Amino acid sequence: MSPSTSEVQPLDYTRYDFKDPETYKVRTARGLSRAIVEEISRLKNEPEWMREYRLRAFEHFLERPMPDWGPSLDEIDFDAYTYYANPLAEGETKRKWEDLPADIKNTFEKLGIPKAEREFFGGVGAQYDSGTVYHKIREDLEKKGVVFTDTDTAVQKYPDIVRKYFGKIVPYNDNKFSALNSAVWSGGSFVYVPPGVDAGIPLQAYFRINAKNVGQFERTLIVADKGAKVHYIEGCLPVGEEVLTGDALAPIESLTEGQEVVNSDGVATTVERTMVRPYDGDLIDITPVSVGNAFQLTPEHPVLSVPRSDVQVSRRAPPRTTGVDRKKLANARPRFVPAGELRSGDFLHYPIHRTARDDPSLGTPELTVLGYYLAEGVTRIINGGEAVTFTVPLDEPEHVDDLAGAIRAITGTPPWVSPQPAEHAVEIGVSSKDLFTLCRWHGGTSAGKKQLSKVVMDLPPEKQAVLLEKYYRGDGNTYERSGTAHRVSTTSRQLAFQVQELQARQGVYASIDVREPFEETMKDGRRISHARAYTVSHPRGTRFRAVHRVPDGFLVPIRRVRRTPYKGNVHNFHVAGSNNTYLVKGFSVHNCTAPVYSTNSLHAAVVEVVAEPYAKIRYTTVQNWSKNVYNLVTKRAHGYEDSLVEWVDGNMGSRVTMKYPSVYLKGRGARADILSVAFASEGQIIDSGAKAVHSAPDTSSKIVSKSIAIRGGQTSYRGLLHIAKGATGVKAAVRCDALLPDDLSRSDTYPYNEIHEEDATVTHEAVVGKIGEEQIFYLMSRGLNESDAIHLILMGFLAEFAKELPVDYALELNRLIQLEMTGAVG
Amino acid sequence: MPEAPRHTLVIEGLHAEVAGKEILKGVDLTLSSGEITALMGPNGSGKSTLAYALMGHPKYKVTRGRATLDGKDLLALPVDQRSRAGLFLGFQYPQEVSGLSLSKFLWTAYMQRHTAENADAETFGKDLDTHLDYLGMDPSLLKRSLNEGFSGGEKKRVEVLQMATLAPTFAILDEPDSGLDIDAVRSVGETVAKLHRPDAGILVITHYQRILKYLRPDRVHVMVDGVVALSGGRELAEELEAKGYDWVRAGSTPAA
Ligand SMILES: Nc1ncnc2c1ncn2[C@@H]1O[C@H](COP(=O)(O)OP(=O)(O)OP(=O)(O)O)[C@@H](O)[C@H]1O
Ligand SMILES: [Mg+2]
Repeated sequence: MSPSTSEVQPLDYTRYDFKDPETYKVRTARGLSRAIVEEISRLKNEPEWMREYRLRAFEHFLERPMPDWGPSLDEIDFDAYTYYANPLAEGETKRKWEDLPADIKNTFEKLGIPKAEREFFGGVGAQYDSGTVYHKIREDLEKKGVVFTDTDTAVQKYPDIVRKYFGKIVPYNDNKFSALNSAVWSGGSFVYVPPGVDAGIPLQAYFRINAKNVGQFERTLIVADKGAKVHYIEGCLPVGEEVLTGDALAPIESLTEGQEVVNSDGVATTVERTMVRPYDGDLIDITPVSVGNAFQLTPEHPVLSVPRSDVQVSRRAPPRTTGVDRKKLANARPRFVPAGELRSGDFLHYPIHRTARDDPSLGTPELTVLGYYLAEGVTRIINGGEAVTFTVPLDEPEHVDDLAGAIRAITGTPPWVSPQPAEHAVEIGVSSKDLFTLCRWHGGTSAGKKQLSKVVMDLPPEKQAVLLEKYYRGDGNTYERSGTAHRVSTTSRQLAFQVQELQARQGVYASIDVREPFEETMKDGRRISHARAYTVSHPRGTRFRAVHRVPDGFLVPIRRVRRTPYKGNVHNFHVAGSNNTYLVKGFSVHNCTAPVYSTNSLHAAVVEVVAEPYAKIRYTTVQNWSKNVYNLVTKRAHGYEDSLVEWVDGNMGSRVTMKYPSVYLKGRGARADILSVAFASEGQIIDSGAKAVHSAPDTSSKIVSKSIAIRGGQTSYRGLLHIAKGATGVKAAVRCDALLPDDLSRSDTYPYNEIHEEDATVTHEAVVGKIGEEQIFYLMSRGLNESDAIHLILMGFLAEFAKELPVDYALELNRLIQLEMTGAVG
Repeated sequence: MPEAPRHTLVIEGLHAEVAGKEILKGVDLTLSSGEITALMGPNGSGKSTLAYALMGHPKYKVTRGRATLDGKDLLALPVDQRSRAGLFLGFQYPQEVSGLSLSKFLWTAYMQRHTAENADAETFGKDLDTHLDYLGMDPSLLKRSLNEGFSGGEKKRVEVLQMATLAPTFAILDEPDSGLDIDAVRSVGETVAKLHRPDAGILVITHYQRILKYLRPDRVHVMVDGVVALSGGRELAEELEAKGYDWVRAGSTPAA
């Protein structure tokens, strides 16, 4: 029975919100002024020349009009942003991962650091709003003289190099946003590779804007000296934790308009508006019998519940002293009760998600492998190749056979099976890129980050049962032997909540318990530290007696209600549809209907790259900002004699992106290779392109731009090809392909050619394609459904780009397009 | 030995139009498992239209008539479901998909068919090798983008390869022999004959007698101006090759 929300009284919605985890050690006042610019410089204790540079840039910023071309930037209100907000003290960049505050650590761990650092990269940096919170480079690279640090540190430690190049490639007066960046910049990466040194494996930096209305203005400078070689990768990615999006919990403050969440009917809906406000008062902590599902909100926030007094055997007895009348409970209609009025013993409403979409590519073998992977699987790189290994208890040969059979069915090769008597276990492993991809894609990347994909969360319950069975089995030590309960333990919070949800679909309410991290001293004196773990369990045979099944879900009693004082920001949001509800930790609460102000963020970076003679630089960007970010970035490289500069630039997220990576070919024989991809969906404008400026003879450039616009998204290619007088023997090729799967979207091409030497070889191709009806028909005639057919065509279109990306980014790209496509079709 | 299960594809009074113009004007045709049927007829008579209409091409609109596979109404199903119901179309002009490798495509299509228990990468791989070998195809094609830059003959063989991978109950092959050199006609013809299972039927659309030598059809139908104008046994194909279609046209009055 789903509750009817029309019975709920209109309420004052201004006070029901959630706690904001944003905490900053240093933060300037909102808005921009000369004083703020000076304050930033002072906080950074900068040399005078930099302070003056900032102020000059600031003056220019004030004078410079907004661009009169390209997408509208009218919504940008420069006074609404905070220009400097650092979760650490200025200069407090950590070199040890463990030293980071827990919430920042969590945030970035979702992105794959520091695991990424161990496995794939030579150095890693992380920036959280204005603050560079972490920077680390491998010792062997450091010994070779490679410098990889944040730009603030570089100003102090390497003033000569910085002064030589800073602002020389992108002058502050290049455009309004380069002026803004030059005035308020903070963080960014500084890379210097000495002559002849090959930095080998890539250096990687992550950028994250955490708070709304905070701008991020990082400044990156990359110098490869004569004959040096370096690959730098930057990821601008959102993260999710904490709330209720249908396949995962996401932090409420990270939700953006258009994002999918689940309502109290267990049906997916979308976030229409988000809001934030300051709050000073008590928060209510509600702990249900399933302790791990505890949550916190303001006292007035309406929560869907059945008060115990409604369903007690005897109405007159004091609460909790008499039993619950099952008949009354079965007929009880949950209603909205302000959180502050909830009492222990009252029931919360936990709906069962009802969306089910089959995916035939996940059959029993795949689900079997995934189940064991969740329990004890690890993806790793062995001898440079992708592999997956599993640990299964030694005395359970039937599990070994089960898993080995499934692996064989998928990969076509039998796995290796190596007994580890000391561990009382058997290791099963296989080198397989497909399996590696399957596990990471559908099961998450590492123990603490195990997480099921949306595809798996949406599978029909019969298939999910297979996965659960194998997972519980693989988790081994508790499944067969504990006589009373089924349970699994994991260090991944996400996974715990997902398993709870999957069990609900099986008609079972499982509770989540949390074991705090602790250290243990073994008999032999070794100390073992245990991470925080979540146990999901339900009684064997019988159900939780305290939890009651209702047709659309469960009623879960509250164990404890507490108040804690709080001062800070609280968040809320408004969802689409007539059922004005969403789920917090799985429990139904009411929507917010108060008016909100729009919130957006600004990212205005400047990237300067210098390739000295014979140097090679590749700069890869994968940008998937949330859809409220204005992403206005100036990227430029100078390439000298026989150097090679490659920009690989993928833009998937943001509200508006304006970015035109460019290469100035200044020495004979210099080469430039620019590959850019834009993917714009509803409400997004991606205006990107490339510039090649040939001022020396025998230089060559290749520009490939690929763009996809769906559901009303817009992409534009803006390109400049300039061949100066005297630059003879130039070769230049430009190719722009755009794909428009529907009639709502648009794509424009604005190529500018300025060619002053006759002997240049220039080719230009531009193709705008619809995804042909014929192509879709062809693929569908082979049994693929329409959205899979389109997905394959899109991924094919982007294959040239995807193959240049590290595997996790390629997966992210695939996942993103799949998500967008599910919305676009059917 | 147990008998192979029997299947039938029944087409009754099928009318279809494309771009507002009626092309099929009442096609009646029955295909049975275990049989190979040939469909011949002059250019523009509507053979490909029949194939598209059965597969569910969005541009080809069925205005009247029925098509059922073992009693199941095919025309009510979306394209992908027709495929899953056991229908296959080998295209006269196959599409290209850039960036999608042939091997990935075949595997994806195979996985669509083998929902849960019976998907088996090992068998898939082995069968693929066998089929490539039958068709005399270079395995390096598997790594290339689907049909992109493939020669006419390679494309036709890729269609047969897809049929082999999907093992449909009824396959319609629209001119699998056009554009093939003499040896290729033979390897395609022989492969299709080898792949033909007793529980499956094949309709081959062709202009030439040559491929039929390898396929040895049980029935031959001739389409003229949107209807099946003449039907007969294998010898009919030879007769057509000798006499041309004018002879059928002249005799295709209801009285004949
Ligand atoms: N998409 C289309 N738009 C317009 N007319 C079409 C279309 N497809 C087919 N036709 C017309 O329908 C008629 C039948 O075409 P169809 O392709 O079915 O012939 P066919 O028998 O397969 O010929 P062929 O032997 O040359 O392959 C032709 O007149 C053709 O021009
Ligand atoms: Mg034809």
